[in-house]
Amino acid sequence: MRYETVIGLEVHVELATESKIFCSCSAKFGAEQNDNVCPACCGMPGMLPVLNKRVVDLGMTAGMMLNCHINRVTTFDKKSYYYPDLPASYQTTQWFAPICVNGTVDIKTSNGEKKVRIKQIHMEEDAGKLVHDDWTDTSLVDFNRTSVPLIEIVSQPDLSGAEEVVAYLERLRDLLRFARVSDCRWEQGSMRCDVNLSVRPEGSNVLGVRTEMKNMNSISAITRAIDYETARHIDAIENGIGKLVQETRRWDDVKGKSYPMRNKETAGDYRYFPDPNVMPVVIDDEWYDRIRKSLPDFPEVKKAHYMEEFGLSEYDADQLTQSRAFCDVFEDAYAECSMAKEAANWLISDCASILNKKQQTFDMLSISGKALGQLIKLVKEDKVSRGNAKRILAVMFEQDIDPEEYAKANGFIVNNDMGALEAIVKEVVASDTKSVTDYKNGKEKALMALFGKCMKQLKGNCNPQVLREMLIKVIDNS
Amino acid sequence: MNKESLIQLEKLNKILLSEEEREEMLCFFEKQSENVSGLDAIPTQDVERMVHVMPMTNVIRDDVAIKQFTRDQLQEDAPESYDGYWQVPRLVE
Amino acid sequence: MKLYISESASTSYENKVVLDDMILTKKLPTSAGSRMLDGYMSLFDAEIVTKLEENGYEIAAKANVGEFGIDLLGETSYYGACICEDGTLTNAVAEILKRKEANAVVCFDVNGAPRRAAAIGNLTYIKPTYGTVSRYGTIPAACSGETVGVMANDTSACRKILSIIAGHDDKDGTSLPEETCALLKADAKREPVKKIAVAKSMLASVDDKTKNLIENFKAKAAKCSVEIVEIDALELTAAKTAWNILMSAEVCNNVSRYDGIKFGYRTPKYEDIDELYTNSRTEAFGYLLKSTILYGSDALSTDNYRKVYDKALRVRRVLSEYLYKVLAEADGILIPACSKRNFTEAEVKTNKYISYDESFYTAPSSITGFPTMVTGGVQIIGKPFSENSLLDMALMFEKEGEES
Repeated sequence: MRYETVIGLEVHVELATESKIFCSCSAKFGAEQNDNVCPACCGMPGMLPVLNKRVVDLGMTAGMMLNCHINRVTTFDKKSYYYPDLPASYQTTQWFAPICVNGTVDIKTSNGEKKVRIKQIHMEEDAGKLVHDDWTDTSLVDFNRTSVPLIEIVSQPDLSGAEEVVAYLERLRDLLRFARVSDCRWEQGSMRCDVNLSVRPEGSNVLGVRTEMKNMNSISAITRAIDYETARHIDAIENGIGKLVQETRRWDDVKGKSYPMRNKETAGDYRYFPDPNVMPVVIDDEWYDRIRKSLPDFPEVKKAHYMEEFGLSEYDADQLTQSRAFCDVFEDAYAECSMAKEAANWLISDCASILNKKQQTFDMLSISGKALGQLIKLVKEDKVSRGNAKRILAVMFEQDIDPEEYAKANGFIVNNDMGALEAIVKEVVASDTKSVTDYKNGKEKALMALFGKCMKQLKGNCNPQVLREMLIKVIDNS
Repeated sequence: MNKESLIQLEKLNKILLSEEEREEMLCFFEKQSENVSGLDAIPTQDVERMVHVMPMTNVIRDDVAIKQFTRDQLQEDAPESYDGYWQVPRLVE
Repeated sequence: MKLYISESASTSYENKVVLDDMILTKKLPTSAGSRMLDGYMSLFDAEIVTKLEENGYEIAAKANVGEFGIDLLGETSYYGACICEDGTLTNAVAEILKRKEANAVVCFDVNGAPRRAAAIGNLTYIKPTYGTVSRYGTIPAACSGETVGVMANDTSACRKILSIIAGHDDKDGTSLPEETCALLKADAKREPVKKIAVAKSMLASVDDKTKNLIENFKAKAAKCSVEIVEIDALELTAAKTAWNILMSAEVCNNVSRYDGIKFGYRTPKYEDIDELYTNSRTEAFGYLLKSTILYGSDALSTDNYRKVYDKALRVRRVLSEYLYKVLAEADGILIPACSKRNFTEAEVKTNKYISYDESFYTAPSSITGFPTMVTGGVQIIGKPFSENSLLDMALMFEKEGEES
């Protein structure tokens, strides 16, 4: 018998906000344990929730990127269960009227193209984090993540295996990062996923017993878990091995096995009810249009545009459209200097290498595109050498500067006085007769040594081609 | 409501009643159930639910982070804490 | 009775305000009448505390309340009920005012306990329109209806304090705009009360003393040229059941935060997390609260949500619309604040649900958020933002009383 796997995903994405959803604590990742916490988000009584506007902006943005219908009236509800990472023992979420419904995401796999339907997207608060401590044999609770805003993207059971799931998750990640909804970093938990999976004989229209694997946090683990769980289901159907029951399971990636979860959120009734402290959000046309206008083109649309409009190679266009930050800087730089190929080069090679050294992602590029365009112009006009321009670029990563003013202030302006250049070259040639002789005897390397000495004297402020020509002329005449 | 489902309800709410309290609670449920049936006399099929008695919309704030409290303040009253964490018996997932 | 007393309180009686123990202060503990929060110190002051202090008032003490403010007689407090010499239950806040230990008491009106207290103690009490006084820094119990209220020996003191604490607060998402809250300021424009409707259906089971108070009120009204009309108001009798559903569900949810982990009471007896939760809550909570939690949880369960909770939300709108309709014709609706004045300790022990029964009189205002005033032992529900009109009437009746 042949089987097919039916998978639906619930993807949790932490939103790129400064503050938490209902209190003003910082939502930034990486603080010391319980440093971004206040009485509200550690469950103490007396503070009242006030909704962060940016959460609605980003919820709407996500919905529009995923072709959803936006509910113009959207409300918040409380969901109750006990777990130590949930300090109030309830989570504020959206149950009755989520912000987005009925969307689609297009994916491409080896089977061709497919539309994955989105059932809904709702806004909610994240839970805290538990650390299991072997030394004290206790669990330790960190509420930094509590109340960090999330959206949960619920798909229909339209996915049929690990390949499609991976394509779907990568597409979601690209779109949401591109729209700056989230940084979607699996390794930091800002993207997580619950996998609902069932198996049925091929062609059957009855769904099999469904299991849910919670809190998956990497693409590779998801792939392994889907393969394992599919095999486990088929085995159970064919051989009755291990009773198949509808349940929540935990994936142990080290052991490569899934286990039934004993505790969390398996305790049944969540008793949802409308939150009396949070007023409904009504999205009027003005708000809706403002978000609609702020949406970026999809990455592939931008890529095609870059190739057709700016004449970039497919490779360059592809590289730039990996990251919204690169696109923004590129477009601003182009607007300033009208040199697409140069702008792309500066980004793809120079900016990328600086980011790599700083161990930052491409999304973290935060230099001014306008300044980059000015820098490119300075090089093109021979006002600053490329070597010095690189130095200026490095400074641009640290502070806001006007490249030309900075070049002037720091002696990075090319000296176009040919007389002065000749004088310096003559001085160097006169001081190193050995290299001159070596060069005349056919040692090309000797010319490079002289070239280097001249450049040093000139503090790099020289067009290399001009210097080289001058050097040869002076040597020939010496 | 019967005793079995009452015990389930206790579990869900992390509360344990004594046998005597259970008896009392079951009587209360019965009485309340009658009262709730009494509400059926009020037709509400065309009435919208009222969550907020003074209706408002879009009570929202700007996305600005402010630090007002320190970890030490928040954990001053903690029954048990360790290394800046709240501490609980070890959990098995 | 006075649970926590400020050592530094030194100013005159006029500047002293007492808070009931549902309101958080940095200087004094807040226990909400529960073992769970015994001696709990808040890291911040309630907005009303800030406002009072800014206006030169001093928080002199915290007064004992029933556990999380949900009972009506203070009978469920971990610190014990407040009992008179004759063995009947009174209320801590009313006693403090009667002894003139403070100029006014600011209460958190979850289920109507302050209204009952004011009626018994013959004090003036105003529960303003929902959303006009910030709830920032109050212990949450039944958020959709609970409101900060003011009680005093006389109406002027009541008005003064209300005028100070009313106002918009960005920290409370249900706080009304400033221009609306400003209607409660002492100098705001208002219409005089000309007509009061007496709700007959609410009088059916009150004792003789309460009946007399109603008659007294009518007599004073006649002297002050306030017209009295009678209405059936059968609608209002549904408020109790509907409010108990909403209140219980919200209480269940709000007190779920007390679990022995972050702060407050933790049981010494536990092996695992479930025992930690269950034993902490079982040991720290009293029976009425437990009962309310379980009832509220059941009302929200998947099986009952439509039939019970959702129904109560719709009944709330029916009641609200009914009040608007009646109050388009009259300026106030007269109902009792309680069925009888004095319950004994023995009565309260035998019938643990007296507060549920007695909330018959407090629920109409609690569930709709309409303002209500207690004066001369009876309760008058007014239109939203008509607090000043109600207080004017009370003042007029007070003067009438002095003259006669």
